[in-house]
Amino acid sequence: MSGFDYVITIGGAAGQGIATPGNILARLFARLGIHMYAYNAYQSIIRGGHSFLTIRCSDHEIRTHGDVIDLMICLNQDTMDRHLEHLGPNTSVIFNSDTIEPGKAADGVRLCPMAVTEIVGKGANKLMQNTVAIAVTCQLLGIEFKALEDVLNFQFSAKGEELMAMNVKVAWAAYEHSAANFKPASQQAPKPGRPLAVWAGNQAFAMAAAGAGVKFYCAYPMSPSTGILHWMAANGRELGIMVRQVEDEISVICMTVGAAHAGCRSMCATSGGGFALMTEGVGAAAMMEIPIVIVNVQRAGPSTGVPTKTEQGDLWQVLGASQGDFPKLILAPSSPLDAFQTIPEVFNLADKYQLPAIILSDLLISDETSTIDPELLDMHPLIDRGELITEVGDEAGNYERYKFTDSGISPRALPGIPGYEHVVATDEHMPDGVLISDEYTHPHKRRAMLEKRQRKMDGLLADLPPPAIVGDADAEVTLVGWGSTAGVIQEAIGQLAQAGVSVNHLHFKWLVPFHADEAVQLLSSCKRTIIVENNYSGLFHRYLRGETGFTVDGHIRKYDGEPFKPHHIVAAVQEQLEGGETLSVPYEEIIV
Amino acid sequence: MSIKLNVINLEKSEYTGGKSSLCPGCGHDQISKVIIQAAWENGIPPEGIVKMSGIGCSSKTPAYFLGKSHGFNTVHGRMPSVTTGAAMANKNLLYIGVSGDGDTASIGIGQFIHAIRRNLNMVYIIENNGVYGLTKGQYSATMERGSTKRKGQPNDQPPIDLCKMAINLGCGFVARSFSGSKKQLTALIKAGMSHNGMAIIDVISPCVTFANNDESYRSYGYVKDNEEPLHVADYIPHFSPIAEVDIPEGEYKDIELFDGSTLRLETISDHHDTSDVVAALSAIHYAEQQGKHVTGLLYFEADIPTADEVQGLVDIPLSSLPAELMRPSRAKHDELIRKLIG
Repeated sequence: MSGFDYVITIGGAAGQGIATPGNILARLFARLGIHMYAYNAYQSIIRGGHSFLTIRCSDHEIRTHGDVIDLMICLNQDTMDRHLEHLGPNTSVIFNSDTIEPGKAADGVRLCPMAVTEIVGKGANKLMQNTVAIAVTCQLLGIEFKALEDVLNFQFSAKGEELMAMNVKVAWAAYEHSAANFKPASQQAPKPGRPLAVWAGNQAFAMAAAGAGVKFYCAYPMSPSTGILHWMAANGRELGIMVRQVEDEISVICMTVGAAHAGCRSMCATSGGGFALMTEGVGAAAMMEIPIVIVNVQRAGPSTGVPTKTEQGDLWQVLGASQGDFPKLILAPSSPLDAFQTIPEVFNLADKYQLPAIILSDLLISDETSTIDPELLDMHPLIDRGELITEVGDEAGNYERYKFTDSGISPRALPGIPGYEHVVATDEHMPDGVLISDEYTHPHKRRAMLEKRQRKMDGLLADLPPPAIVGDADAEVTLVGWGSTAGVIQEAIGQLAQAGVSVNHLHFKWLVPFHADEAVQLLSSCKRTIIVENNYSGLFHRYLRGETGFTVDGHIRKYDGEPFKPHHIVAAVQEQLEGGETLSVPYEEIIV
Repeated sequence: MSIKLNVINLEKSEYTGGKSSLCPGCGHDQISKVIIQAAWENGIPPEGIVKMSGIGCSSKTPAYFLGKSHGFNTVHGRMPSVTTGAAMANKNLLYIGVSGDGDTASIGIGQFIHAIRRNLNMVYIIENNGVYGLTKGQYSATMERGSTKRKGQPNDQPPIDLCKMAINLGCGFVARSFSGSKKQLTALIKAGMSHNGMAIIDVISPCVTFANNDESYRSYGYVKDNEEPLHVADYIPHFSPIAEVDIPEGEYKDIELFDGSTLRLETISDHHDTSDVVAALSAIHYAEQQGKHVTGLLYFEADIPTADEVQGLVDIPLSSLPAELMRPSRAKHDELIRKLIG
C-alpha cells in the first residue's frame, strides 16, 4: 500500500506514563483526520514491567498494528536494550540522553538523543520527557506545532493553566531542537482531513448496548473486560442505566437474569474465568427463556492465564457452557465497529427468541484503541423486543408462559401484569409453568417442551446471514477465520496479492446456530483452505469440522499471547504453498 | 355463611396455591399456610407479589402458596442475586424469598451476605431444618454440633447461625421463629412485609422424615420443649386503627413499621431491647449455650437506606420505561459521539 503508513512505538515501564503520550498522539492523529490503530503490550502490574505501545497511523483505514517499527520512543533503558537491535534503516529512535544509553544500532537507524534536562530546565517533572518525545515525533513527521499545542492544551486542561503552559513551552523547545538537529522522518504526515473519532473496543461494546436500550448492566471487574464497566459506570447515571459492581460472576449473571425477567434489557461482561462461574446462569436463562446478553472478552488461559494477553481460547467453553441441550446464540464480532453495529441486532434476536446470547470478544478487539469515522456511529438503532406482553390483553386469566407454538416462541409477559401471573423455573415445566420434575416426570410433556424450546433455533438460524467469501472467487488460497482475526487476515491478503498470490477470505461471525450447509458449499468450492486461529489446537477448526464434516488443508496458529501481524500470515501462507507445510506457528519478534 | 374478604375484597382462596408434594407433617407446609394468611390479611394484591426461591424442599414451596402471584424458581443458592436484578428492574413489586439452610447457609452464603449488605428490599424467609431433605438427609451447615438425625452419626461440625450473621452484617430486621409457633410466625412475616429493606426471618422447620427424632435439636419435640420466645408478637395493620386494639396488661413495646403498621411486642419475662445489637447477639449466644432456641424479633432498625434508594432508582420501574427513555436522547447521543472526537 503506498501513501502514508507509519508505525510509532513507545516503550517504558508501567507507571512511567506511557498512556499519556499514547493518548496525545492518538488524539492528534484523529484530529488531523489520520487513521490510527494502537495496540498495547503490557503486563498485569501497576508499576514496573515493560509496556510497549504500538501506534500505527495511516492515510487509509487500518485494522492491525502493522509489521514494522518506523519510530521508537524509549522512556527507559530497558526499551532501548530490548528493541534497538530489531530496528532497520530509517527508523528514528527518540530517547532521553540524560538517562538512556543508545547501545549499538544497525546502519541507517536515526538516533535522536534529547538532553531533556537542558531543554526542560532543572528540577522539571520527570514526565516532561514524554512531552519532549511527542514534540520531536511531530516535528519529524512534519506536523505543524499548532496542532500539537491544541492537543496538549486539551490533554492538560484539567490540570491547570500552569501545567498547560509548561508543557507547551517544553514542547516548543523540543520541536525547535528537533528541527535544528534531526533528519525528517522517512515519511511525512499527510495534509489534515476531516477529524475522526477515537475509541477503544470496550467502549464500542458499552455504547452499542446503551443504544440498544440496556437498562441493567453489572459486572465483577476482570481484565480485559473492565473497560465496559468503566464506560457504564461513567455514563450510566446520566443515561438511566442501572450499573452495579457485584460480588462475583455468579451473582452477576443471576442479577442479569433477574433484571431481564423483570423486563429490562440486561447485559453483563467478563473474561473467561468469570464466564466459567457464569455458566450455570447461561442454562438458567435458556430454561426459563429469559433474554440476556453476555460478553466474554477472552484472554490467554487456562485459569488466570495471562491477563493482559490475547487468545481465541474460549470457544469450546462458550459452546459447552452449562449443562443440558438448549438453544443459545453465540457470535464473535470481528472489530469494535462490527461489535457496535451487531450488538443491537443481538439484543433483538435475544428478545425475539428469548434465549441467552454470548458475544465472544477478545483482548485484541476490546483493548485496541483506534480511530473511527463518527458518521458510522448511530446509537439509535431499531429496537424490537419481540413478543413481549407489557399490558393486560385478551389472554388475561388464561395466559400460558410456555405456550406451545409452531415457532417455539411463547409470548413473554412481564411480572406484575394482572391476569398474567406465572411461575418461571429452572426445573422442566409445562406450558403453564407448573413443574414436571416435582411429582411426575412425564416423558411426553418433557419431549414436547424440549422440542418447543429447540424449535426456536430454526427461526434464529434463518434470521442469521449465511457466511460469504470476500475477494476473488477463483483464488488460489482461501483464508478461513473467525472473530478478531478478520483485520489482520485482510491486510495479509493485500500483501499476498502484491506478491502475486491470489487469496480470498471466508470469515465466520455467527457461530451458534451455524449455517453448516452454506459453509460446506463455500468450503468445497475453494482450491486450498487455510484456517487462521489465535489458539493452539485449532478450536474453531474442530467446531467447523464437527458442523460440516469439512477438513481444511492447512493451519496457521499463534498462542504466545501476542496477536498476529500481517507478515506472520503472509509468510505462513507462502511456506505452506511452497513447502507443503500444513501447520505454521509464526514466531513473535517483539519480546515484551 | 358469609365469605370473608380482606381489605381489598379478596377471598383467602385468591392467595392459596397448589397441593403440596412435601412429606405429610413437614414444617415447610406450616410456613406456606402462614405466608398465605399473612399476605391475605395484609391485603396485598396477589399480582403485586413475586415469590422468589432457590432449590431444595423449601424452594419448592412457592408452588403451594400465592398461586396468583408471580414466581421465580432460580438456581441453587442464587435467589438473592436474581432477586436483586429483578428488584432493580421493577422495584414496585413485593419480593418474598423462600430459601432453605442448604440454599442459604452453604451454596448461597456469599449471595446471602451481599444481599444483606446492599439491603435489598425483600422478605427473606429461611425454612431451616438442618438437613438436605431431597438428597436423603445429609446435615447442613446450620445443624447444631451434637445433633443427631434419625439415622447416622451425630453432627460434628459447628453451626452457622444465620441470624447472628445477619445482625453482624447490619440487617435492619432479623427474626427467628418456629414453624410450630403459628401466631408468632404470622406476626413476624406480616411485619417483614411491612418493613422497608431486608427482613430476615429464620424459621426452624423440622424435617419429619430425616431429623424429627428426639436427638435432633430441630425436631418438633425438641424445639417445643426448648423454644424461648423473647416476647409475644402481635401485628396491627396500618388499616386498622391501633386505638381499637386492647392494651396489654403487662409491659410492651410498639415497633412502628414503614407502611404504618405496628408490631407490638409484649414482654414475657425479661425485656428484650430490639434496637440493641449486643442484646440481640447475647440472646442468641446464651440460648445456644443452653441448647435452647430463642425466637422473636431479635433486632430491628428502621431507615437504613435500601439498595434502590442508594442507587437512586427512578420512580418508573426500569422495566416499563417508554421507548424514548430506552436509549440516549438525541442530544445525549450527539454529546457522546462528540466526546470521542475530542
